[in-house]
Amino acid sequence: MRRLAPVLELAGPLLLIVAAGLLSTAVSRSTQIYVLHAIVAVAMVVAIYVFIGNSGVLSFGQISFVAVGAFAAGVMTVPLLLKGAILRDLFPILRDHELGNVESLLVAAGVGAVLAAVVGLPLMRLSGLAAGIATFAVLEITNNLLREWTAIGPGATTLSLVPQTTGPAQATIGATLVVLVAWAYQRSRFGRRLRATREDPAAAQAVGISVHRHRLGAFVLSGALCGFAGGLYVHMLGSISTGQVYLELTFLTLAMLVVGGMTSLWGAVVGALAVSGLDSFLAEAERGALPDGTRLVVVGAVMALVLVLRPSGITGGKELRL
Amino acid sequence: MSTAAETQAGDGAGDVLRASSVSRSFAGVRALQDVTLEVRRHEVVGLIGPNGAGKSTLVNVLSGFDRPDDGAVELAGRDVTGWNASRRARAGLARTFQHSRAFPSLSVRENVEVAALGIGARPREAARRADALLELLGLEKLAAVTASALSHGDERRLGVARALATEPHFVLMDEPAAGLPEAELPEFAAVVRSVRDEHDAGVLLVDHNVALVMDVCDRIQVLDQGRTLAEGPPGEIRANLDVAAAYLGESAAE
Repeated sequence: MRRLAPVLELAGPLLLIVAAGLLSTAVSRSTQIYVLHAIVAVAMVVAIYVFIGNSGVLSFGQISFVAVGAFAAGVMTVPLLLKGAILRDLFPILRDHELGNVESLLVAAGVGAVLAAVVGLPLMRLSGLAAGIATFAVLEITNNLLREWTAIGPGATTLSLVPQTTGPAQATIGATLVVLVAWAYQRSRFGRRLRATREDPAAAQAVGISVHRHRLGAFVLSGALCGFAGGLYVHMLGSISTGQVYLELTFLTLAMLVVGGMTSLWGAVVGALAVSGLDSFLAEAERGALPDGTRLVVVGAVMALVLVLRPSGITGGKELRL
Repeated sequence: MSTAAETQAGDGAGDVLRASSVSRSFAGVRALQDVTLEVRRHEVVGLIGPNGAGKSTLVNVLSGFDRPDDGAVELAGRDVTGWNASRRARAGLARTFQHSRAFPSLSVRENVEVAALGIGARPREAARRADALLELLGLEKLAAVTASALSHGDERRLGVARALATEPHFVLMDEPAAGLPEAELPEFAAVVRSVRDEHDAGVLLVDHNVALVMDVCDRIQVLDQGRTLAEGPPGEIRANLDVAAAYLGESAAE
């Protein structure tokens, strides 16, 4: 049984992702975009889970890393001929180079990791409310930089003409990779030490675990995965504006994590798929009978209900067990 | 486990945990005043005194969870006063907590394993160490149980197992026998002795159970109102009337 547990811990999430991937190939084109959204949401939520779930420290800032990843991958894959015309203010190194699909995803992960390291170094000394507020400031700062600084991106305009390479295959493979990394991390000694600090920071220090160092490690890894997920996202949408990787996405992804169960990989995956399903259903309904805005009202209410009735999420924050 | 050569080096001046003239005040209340305490490897030192005498403050100052206002802490010849708790733990100083601080959602076994991982052991070595310690402390049947479901006595034993998993040179035990049933005390005393004799560690034992302390300690230091009141072998301490007044009188009144 002890040998089977880690396999099951990984197999459950992967099966769900593959099932969603297959579903996306079997449905109509208008439904397919919803399914792809859900799979990319799995990548994002699992990336966020790597930090929040393992450390127990709340962060409102992880979408910053999704944002820089999305813009990095987007800006670097717009065809050179068009880029010179629509993004004239870019730094020459960004303006005069074009990357392929895979390279752009790796760059997105790298940019996410670097930004996470820079902000994590001072902020990972904080916990609780202070950490939440400080990471929220990171989201605000990143959003403003992206919106105003036209040397690194499109500024306040929408970046379009990004190659749409994230179809069923890329979404499924991408989300699988993120889950694999998250699983390997939480089973590694680094992940296990960090989870001990989540349970009791003082007792963890008493057995030699540096809380700051281990939180920073997870924050940077989460930053890299968030950047990568941002790359998948922009290649799915084909265009991106700063508003799409800001408050609403922060709220939605945290709702997914809370609803699924913050402290398990299984919870992150289940929450991402369940809330994405609900979200898509309501988005469709808003086109018909329901008034605009119903979507976020319902998702918010569901999150609040889960917090009241089942605070550890629908999976109980536990990994899949037989 | 230490080699014979290391055990011999245990008699050297480097193998000492020492608090030198430490003082610590909280909001004007002097919890510790100019206290000096030494624990050598391979000995059990008892620390007793009435409630509020400064025992826990001293354990916190020694283990790095608190800093002294004055004085220094020395670990194996190095001044560690400025080191944080996790660094001291990696340098061979382990502690248990007054109120059990098991990692609640981890299993008993995982609790011990992660302690070994904490000081840098590889996962395979951590698993091996956990098996040995669970057996030593009679916890092997509870290995898969979630720590939050343990009885009081088992929690105490888990605390000791976790401290030993860091292969410490010194172990500070903060009231490890509190809540243990009377019948389990002889067995617990044997565990403390095996920490000294088989793990070659120095033990600082803080406990209210005078019989246990008298039984297992090689030396006893008595604190009262933040000062050292007496120090010596158990027989001498027992005979000391000041101690009787400060400690036994108090505990009789409890």
